[in-house]
Amino acid sequence: MGRRNSEWLHIALKAVILTGFAGLMIYLLFSGEMLLYIAPHLMIYAWVAAAFLVVATGFQYYIGFVSMKRTVVECECGHDHDHDQSALPGSGWRSSLVYFVFILPLLLGAFLPNSALAGSLAQNKGMNLGGAVYSGKASQGDLVEVDGDQDPALKERFKTTVYNRDYAKLGMLLFEQESIEMTDEWFIEKLQALNTFANNFQDKKLTITGFVYREEGLTDAQFIVGRMAMTHCIADISPYGIIAESPDAQQYADDSWITVTGTIGIAEYRGQKVIKINIESVAPASPAKIPYVYPDWHFADRL
Amino acid sequence: MSNVMTTRDKPRKSYTNLFAIVCLAFIAAMYILSNYAPGTILDSPNLLIFKTVFVSIVLETMPFLWIGVFTSALLHVFVSDRLMKRMIPKNPILGIIAASVLGIIFPLCECGMVPAIRRLINKGMPLYVAITFILVGPIVNPIVFWSTLTAFRGRPEIAYARMGLAFAVALIVGLIIYRFVRANQMRVQEPSHSHEHDHHRDNKLVTVMGHAISEFFDMGKFIIFGAFLVGLLQTFVSQADLVALGQGQGSANALMMGLGFILSLCSTSDAFVAQSFVTTFTPGSLVAFMVFGPMLNLKGVLMMSAVFRTKFVIMLSAFVIVLVYVGTLALDYTFLK
Repeated sequence: MGRRNSEWLHIALKAVILTGFAGLMIYLLFSGEMLLYIAPHLMIYAWVAAAFLVVATGFQYYIGFVSMKRTVVECECGHDHDHDQSALPGSGWRSSLVYFVFILPLLLGAFLPNSALAGSLAQNKGMNLGGAVYSGKASQGDLVEVDGDQDPALKERFKTTVYNRDYAKLGMLLFEQESIEMTDEWFIEKLQALNTFANNFQDKKLTITGFVYREEGLTDAQFIVGRMAMTHCIADISPYGIIAESPDAQQYADDSWITVTGTIGIAEYRGQKVIKINIESVAPASPAKIPYVYPDWHFADRL
Repeated sequence: MSNVMTTRDKPRKSYTNLFAIVCLAFIAAMYILSNYAPGTILDSPNLLIFKTVFVSIVLETMPFLWIGVFTSALLHVFVSDRLMKRMIPKNPILGIIAASVLGIIFPLCECGMVPAIRRLINKGMPLYVAITFILVGPIVNPIVFWSTLTAFRGRPEIAYARMGLAFAVALIVGLIIYRFVRANQMRVQEPSHSHEHDHHRDNKLVTVMGHAISEFFDMGKFIIFGAFLVGLLQTFVSQADLVALGQGQGSANALMMGLGFILSLCSTSDAFVAQSFVTTFTPGSLVAFMVFGPMLNLKGVLMMSAVFRTKFVIMLSAFVIVLVYVGTLALDYTFLK
């Protein structure tokens, strides 16, 4: 009788855990907060997982219901399942530990707020200023112009290695703009293009919104305006940013969100040549609900 | 049924708990060595970072885990051992190459792969074929190739080096296993008879669902525990400080392999992370990060040690460590110079 009870307890606990995961995922999906954890192109997979979980939860309740009447061969043929062994008497602490492992993310997910990460995590990751792209084996002689019918003088300006042509195209688009804005879309790509052709962009007007970030190596007149870039999920998040320079830089608190407008200059930072902004004006900003930027795998096709 | 099971299939002593303790001790040591003052563990920013990283990995893995356990359950119910044996080429080289091609057709990351592979081995897939697939599958596939090429737009040779090295390492490890590893390396032995007789009692749908759920809990605990460790590491160990440790030729390759192990990233996203190191590290060490990480990482080793005997996992890790390290050093001096 005790064995029947313990079996039933396992079925019930699993049902509770499955319900928890299904509930957590569905809540995050419908509230849109899922985007605080995973990148937009993975959302479809999250829906698939939620569907699996809902079906599995339903099935687990069905098993629980049926097992009240008779023993169900749920998976007794699976000798390779650890929990079957842990279901045996005498290893109760071990199966409790296993269930705790499953319940922990549910508890954290349910009781701690879903929030975006910014500067505090950037400190751990190390800021990317998007230095010049490696040109690899290609030497100066291999520089090419991009295809297209743009102004030849402009194409001459954006001569680059054959592999950097996409950045050159983007660079030309940006060059022709009166004032460059670092939008969420193509944030990383634009940063890369600006840095690759830093000389071309000197004294151009630039606007960027992001969080204030500081690290060793910056002067008192400098800070970094950064954004967090996500590829898949928080585990691969990395900060990207531009150095901003102003005599009164000290007045902007770490992690506060600001919009900076200024002209592009060139700075030397940790042995890299990177662009910087000479600040002209600063306005307080509020972060978007989902404050992440994403690399666009297909940006070259959409230019 | 259960009684028979306990006498015949006594599981080997599990070292998973020991491994877990070692990992926690390691993290504690890193924490003490890092520049955080003790006691900040309860500070809310760190707790929030940990929670977000931890939950994020669990959520991100969830779909692939379900795809994996469902594939496994479907294989279990619908593919007979005989059919499986017929499909595997007899020639070992052909078998290994077939496994690599399988990786191209079914681009699965290891979260989904390990449950499916366990089922395939139980159905008679030779160990060397399975291991080749585990090593090569997460890397040599169109999605990963494309994302690597995109991340290293300026240096396509890095993407080629990544594919080539991953294929070479998997091939060599596969051949070594074919030649030298004979005994069954599964942690728990499956009896040779098939279980089909059980299934007439419940219909196939019930069996598939039952297996899938059971395996979800079985594999899920390792993934969640892995995500827990990765969350702790990302919260308390500064990647920037780690990177500062090794910049020299050779030490950089080892360091990036270590970073790949700790971060446990998906093979489709790690190229962008590697790309952010492009100015500080040699191309070879970036390839080391992108080949070693998907083959061996915290999450993956935990999962593998649930399936294979601990000794075998250690041996496999040793081969992969040596081959990737030597391979990337060689790349630094030749192809990627």
